[in-house]
Amino acid sequence: MYHTGFYLNGTSPIHRLDPRVKLAAVIVLSMVILCVKPPIVILVAAVCLCIVFAGSIPLRIIGQAVKPLIIFVGLIFFTHAFFSEGEAIALVNLPYLNISLSRNGMEEGGLVALRFLCLIVAAVILTTTTTPSRMIAAIKYVLGPFKRLHVPVDDIAVMMMLAMRLLPLLLMEKERVETAQKTRGCDLQGKRLAVRLKAFIRLTSTILLGVFRRADELALAMEARCYNRGERTAFVELSMRKTDYGIAAVLIVAGGVLLGLNSFI
Amino acid sequence: MIVFDNVYFQYEPEGIEALCGVSLTVEDGEHVAVVGPNGCGKTTLIRHINALFTPSKGSVTINGYDTQDAGRRNEIRQMIGMVFQNPDHQIVGMTVEEDCAFGPENLRLPTGEIRERVAEALDRVGIAGLAGRNIETLSGGEKRLAAIAGILAMRPRYIALDEPTAFLDPVSARLVLEMIDKLHSDGVGIIHITHNMAEAAGTERIIVMNKGSVYFEGTPQVIFRNVDKLKTIGISLPQITELLIRLRESGLPVRTDIGDMDGAVSEIKGLINK
Ligand SMILES: Nc1ncnc2c1ncn2[C@@H]1O[C@H](COP(=O)(O)OP(=O)(O)O)[C@@H](O)[C@H]1O
Ligand SMILES: [Mg+2]
Repeated sequence: MYHTGFYLNGTSPIHRLDPRVKLAAVIVLSMVILCVKPPIVILVAAVCLCIVFAGSIPLRIIGQAVKPLIIFVGLIFFTHAFFSEGEAIALVNLPYLNISLSRNGMEEGGLVALRFLCLIVAAVILTTTTTPSRMIAAIKYVLGPFKRLHVPVDDIAVMMMLAMRLLPLLLMEKERVETAQKTRGCDLQGKRLAVRLKAFIRLTSTILLGVFRRADELALAMEARCYNRGERTAFVELSMRKTDYGIAAVLIVAGGVLLGLNSFI
Repeated sequence: MIVFDNVYFQYEPEGIEALCGVSLTVEDGEHVAVVGPNGCGKTTLIRHINALFTPSKGSVTINGYDTQDAGRRNEIRQMIGMVFQNPDHQIVGMTVEEDCAFGPENLRLPTGEIRERVAEALDRVGIAGLAGRNIETLSGGEKRLAAIAGILAMRPRYIALDEPTAFLDPVSARLVLEMIDKLHSDGVGIIHITHNMAEAAGTERIIVMNKGSVYFEGTPQVIFRNVDKLKTIGISLPQITELLIRLRESGLPVRTDIGDMDGAVSEIKGLINK
């Protein structure tokens, strides 16, 4: 249940792709999607969907990722749909407000929502098909040049690893404390706000205390395994295969073509 | 060789002494158990072995290196692996093999050698099949073995284990103990903290601690010959030893300085054959 990140085991071509290429692809896609015209947005969305299938990512997972943001996406859509200039399809009469639903606004809203969804899907594809460690290795590679500027790249990578390791523990701790407080009669359903706020503060401080203690112990355990700040070597070594270079080239060409096409239509 | 010379340690400057005047030695390749009631300082003691803690007074030396010598700490920590009581507090990687690689990465070994060591360590504890598994999907016993593999990947000469069977079901505990025995027969020195006298009975020497100092020590036979001494500090005996004591009290001439099942079986068999 508390698996780190969203990584799904698999051997699809998308899984095997070098994480640096994937990272670059997401960046290119974000730039393209935000600055191109409607037909190309739809084209890119279709490509995203194809990649989802190529990576054999269940649609359920996409749904899970989108779910918490659905209100936000809906809000974007309706704001555009109701508040845009254009020929009204329906008039909504509210006191003080005179808003209308326009076709133009709906199209605009749909487009913005679609762009947003594409970004989410791209992020899901990246995280479900890349192990956290390969992702960290990719970020470490990208940050590599900054080592010259004394950016502690290796330490940042260890910190990211720890954060990912501690996150599920944090959630488990939260659940444990919550259950403990409930069994002691701290059921908060329907209580006054002040009471609930107090309980919330108590819950958070208990969890934080537990986490600090755990972090202390973890630091000791890391020291016991000879961890020192600074340079380390890595178990995960990224190496570009021919396919990876090929895909990277395709990516650059596709980005260029799409942008070119965009200025035509 | 690990040498403690009159070691004192306090957690807080004016606090109580968690260790007061501990002196002991552990030879290369020895299998030693450290037992004692809760809070007697067992954990504090083994954290001194690989320089996680350093004495407030007295000294700890590992093969001649003083743990106070900051320049030698990495060497000492590589030489003596430490398995924490709770694997969740020790495991830093997200998958079994990544966690196993953490130590070798810190030793700045090249990737090829890290991979070799990880494969070897996982194989040694018998969890090669779990290499790519997410830590959170492992059972308690598997987690413990993963934690031990992470230490073995550093190729230590000694391993200190803090209650390695705590929180484990009997089957997993058995598995872990067998693994420890195998490491010992491969020549790795073992310092094994335990609550369980039956577990301690299987080692070469038992160090009994009480209130921050060494209460007494000796081979399992010697320890089990002094059951009264153990009982005064609240250490319970293995059930098999209790049984032998009862048999003796009821008039059977059995030895009672036995803590393990095999020893008891041969003792009772011998008696029947007589
Ligand atoms: N982090 C700490 N801060 C202060 N006192 C501690 C700490 N850890 C342990 N102690 C105290 O040191 C003594 C020895 O503890 P410990 O070595 O954990 O015992 P054991 O492992 O034998 O149960 C106990 O009295 C305990 O309360
Ligand atoms: Mg302890």
